[in-house]
Amino acid sequence: MNIPIGWKYLAIFIPSVLGLIGLLVLIRFAWKKGTEYVTPRPTLSRPLSIGGAALGIVAALMPWATFVLNEGAYPDKSTLQFFDSPWAVSGFRLHTLLLSLVALAVVFAPIRKHRIHKALGWSLIGIALINAAFIAGNGGGFGAITSDGSSFAFGAVIGLVAGIALVFSGKAGPVEPIPHLSTDVSRVVAYAVLVVSFTALLLGVAMMLNAGGQGGVGNPYAGPIFLSLLAFFAGVLGALHAVGVTGWISRLSDKHKWFSIVVLLAVALGLPFTEAGTDYWMTTATNIGVYAATAIGLNIVVGLAGLLDLGYVAFLGIGAFVAANFSGAAAAKMGFELPFLVAVIIAAIVAGVFGAVVGSPTLRVRGDYLAIVTLAFGEIFKKSAQNDIGGLTGGANAIPGVPPINWFGLSFDKPLEIAGVKLPSGVMYYVLIIVLVALVMVVFANLKNSRIGRSWIAIREDEDAARAMGIKTGKAKILAFLIGATLAGVAGAVFAHKTSTVAYDSFQFIESVTLLAAVILGGMGSIPGAVLGAALLLVLPEKLREFADYRLILFGFALILIMRFRPQGLVPDKHRRAELANEGAEGVPIEELNLPDDTPGGAKAQVAR
Amino acid sequence: MTATSNAPVLAASNVTMVFGGLTALKDVNIELHEGQILGLIGPNGAGKTTFFNCLTGLYTPTRGSVRLKGRTLPSDPAQVTVAGVARTFQNIRLFPSMTALENVLVGRHSRMKQGPIASLFHGPSFKKGEADARTRCLELLDFVGLSGLDDELARNLPYGDQRRLEIARALATDPAVLLLDEPTAGMNPQETEAARQLILSIRELGIAVVVIEHDTKFIFSLCDHVSVLVQGELLVEGSPEVVRGDPRVIEAYLGKPPEEVQAEVDAYAAESSAERTSIIEPIRDRRPNEGGQQ
Ligand SMILES: Nc1ncnc2c1ncn2[C@@H]1O[C@H](COP(=O)(O)OP(=O)(O)OP(=O)(O)O)[C@@H](O)[C@H]1O
Ligand SMILES: [Mg+2]
Repeated sequence: MNIPIGWKYLAIFIPSVLGLIGLLVLIRFAWKKGTEYVTPRPTLSRPLSIGGAALGIVAALMPWATFVLNEGAYPDKSTLQFFDSPWAVSGFRLHTLLLSLVALAVVFAPIRKHRIHKALGWSLIGIALINAAFIAGNGGGFGAITSDGSSFAFGAVIGLVAGIALVFSGKAGPVEPIPHLSTDVSRVVAYAVLVVSFTALLLGVAMMLNAGGQGGVGNPYAGPIFLSLLAFFAGVLGALHAVGVTGWISRLSDKHKWFSIVVLLAVALGLPFTEAGTDYWMTTATNIGVYAATAIGLNIVVGLAGLLDLGYVAFLGIGAFVAANFSGAAAAKMGFELPFLVAVIIAAIVAGVFGAVVGSPTLRVRGDYLAIVTLAFGEIFKKSAQNDIGGLTGGANAIPGVPPINWFGLSFDKPLEIAGVKLPSGVMYYVLIIVLVALVMVVFANLKNSRIGRSWIAIREDEDAARAMGIKTGKAKILAFLIGATLAGVAGAVFAHKTSTVAYDSFQFIESVTLLAAVILGGMGSIPGAVLGAALLLVLPEKLREFADYRLILFGFALILIMRFRPQGLVPDKHRRAELANEGAEGVPIEELNLPDDTPGGAKAQVAR
Repeated sequence: MTATSNAPVLAASNVTMVFGGLTALKDVNIELHEGQILGLIGPNGAGKTTFFNCLTGLYTPTRGSVRLKGRTLPSDPAQVTVAGVARTFQNIRLFPSMTALENVLVGRHSRMKQGPIASLFHGPSFKKGEADARTRCLELLDFVGLSGLDDELARNLPYGDQRRLEIARALATDPAVLLLDEPTAGMNPQETEAARQLILSIRELGIAVVVIEHDTKFIFSLCDHVSVLVQGELLVEGSPEVVRGDPRVIEAYLGKPPEEVQAEVDAYAAESSAERTSIIEPIRDRRPNEGGQQ
């Protein structure tokens, strides 16, 4: 199709002018002077939201880049192909379109809008910025997202303006309370809701894993596609949260705990059947599982008992080396090979013993000093493994040839076919690790809700008071170390069989830090938090491969942002949530109470008084 | 001494505590009998809290010993609690991010039996033990007047309720002796009266109580026996009537020469008994801000 150049200009010109006018309106009228925070006038809320949503739709239908990038067309027709097929919107442009349509629908719906618009707006801003930054970076400057000769591509700019307009429309008024939906629904409805939401969760995870392929090798655009999808999901979740749906679902799943667990397990086992069911993602998911199980173990030590452990990955390493020796190299030399389950038990016991040994200084040293002791232990372990002390670790040569797990003639490293469906190799490891993580979760939850778990939390809160309540704090702390290390040891044994080669450099300081970050990021003392934290910390680096050297910087930056804006972690434990969240005791948002809230928890504590 | 002729429940003999060059306690002797409420008063820095810390094993006395029902107490807080001495703290030390019920359940710790294995599997006997403990702790919350607040985080409770929660937590350890360090500090008159009633009903449970308080009106109206600690030494002890009129007590409190004090005591004796405590009472306002110790 050949469109006359005049039309082209018009098609670009009108939305651009609209966008500029929008920007001017924001700058000229949007601010109400005299208040502490910059807030737009309430009367502007409606026009801003309608305008923002309309601009968002325009942005989605516009081209985002003026030319084809070096590595090929930027995904999903973001370039001037617009004029060939303006309605074939997919990828991030589809997301932009969906968000804007929802924003527009919300304007006319009889519900509280501000929070929804804010969430959708931030999501639009995120999508626009991520894609614009990438196009500009890879396309040689801002020309790529503005104009190039006779071609214009204002999609990103208009998307950004649309997002800002929506956020401001959300800020133009009091913060509305989140509706509290009743969980008094019939069992059938509750079950249906849970199945649907967990399935949606599975599909979302699969989509996210698959976004842009495996990163780096497969698709040079994997990073931005993934991040942009993340921004989209954040917007969707934010909007659902604003209408009270996420809170409702989480309360429903609390109420129907066992059903939720079963569905969640089934859903997790369903991952190999989705688009993410590739060898690559099975391996990554298994690694995530190993880390998640270890992180939950660490969560006992750090999250419950409040003991900082900076060398925790050593226990994972001990488990892995023990298993490698008993079912691999050393064992083969001596003419025997233990079955996997026996190797796991031995690995767990050995790691547990080391845990108790490392934990024993807790009787004498506290706080920072203990952290140094654990740090030293981690380094001692690494150095010993590196130098092949006792010939148990293979030193720089590692221990190769750990045999795959083999149960009833089913070798875990082979692909599998069930009822004609081909499943990727490594799927059995994935299943095993899911079961393991589920078991570790049960261990954690059971311990937490027991006399032992309460004594750990009491020690974290006030060790002297805990002792005065009759808790033998020394014993309790060593027990925390022992159990945490045992769980890591089990995870290590699975890890050894899965990777088949166990080398000391998988267990360095940075891995300990990653585990700790997973626990803190997800929310101290929270199980879903530790799993989510581990998943994020392993998937993000995979996805951000093409940022190469900047990867760790980006990563650190993201951590800082999360800790600044969500110190209680992504999925906080109920106690920590109360301690650190920006919400009053009864779930009243602090902003509503008009208190300065510079110190997390500070104003909240006063409100509580 | 009170009429009780039995051996004392708690006996501290010649307890001496030296910190570097400072003798915080010097040969303190105290006997506490069953069903007794003993008041411990004295100016700031007299060593009252230090004495509690020596009784509960938080400090190991430099000299002297503490006996509970004739047995010497170990110098380990956990074992002392198991033996049957529970306490509250001068500056409240609850577990702030645990709920009220969980706080009391922690107090129940030493009376529960479940080990790590049982806690791992949550079998029937575990569940029964847990349910029993919960019932008992809810009763205790009820007893101290916190019914309905079991699911509230300790940090969110008002000040007075936090003090009561500390008492419930201490009671959960099934103590023979309860040590209360300034249980009414910061309370308004109504709350103070409620606390007085609470301590009286604790005595009804057969628990002997030692109370540290600066509010002398409170102490004299509550206790059977009052000991006055001044600069680490037991200055005067006896029934509230005896202690109340003792010139040395007034001197120690007001820091005035004996003659002047004697004159005041004479004037004081002439007053109606209802107003008697008023001479010593202004002390409360002279208290400096509480320091960092328990
Ligand atoms: N751990 C310690 N190390 C050194 N000195 C201490 C220690 N604990 C208490 N002291 C000192 O012992 C003395 C008695 O203090 P204590 O806290 O027992 O007084 P108190 O009678 O409880 O006073 P208050 O009425 O203010 O609570 C004080 O001089 C205090 O500084
Ligand atoms: Mg004191």
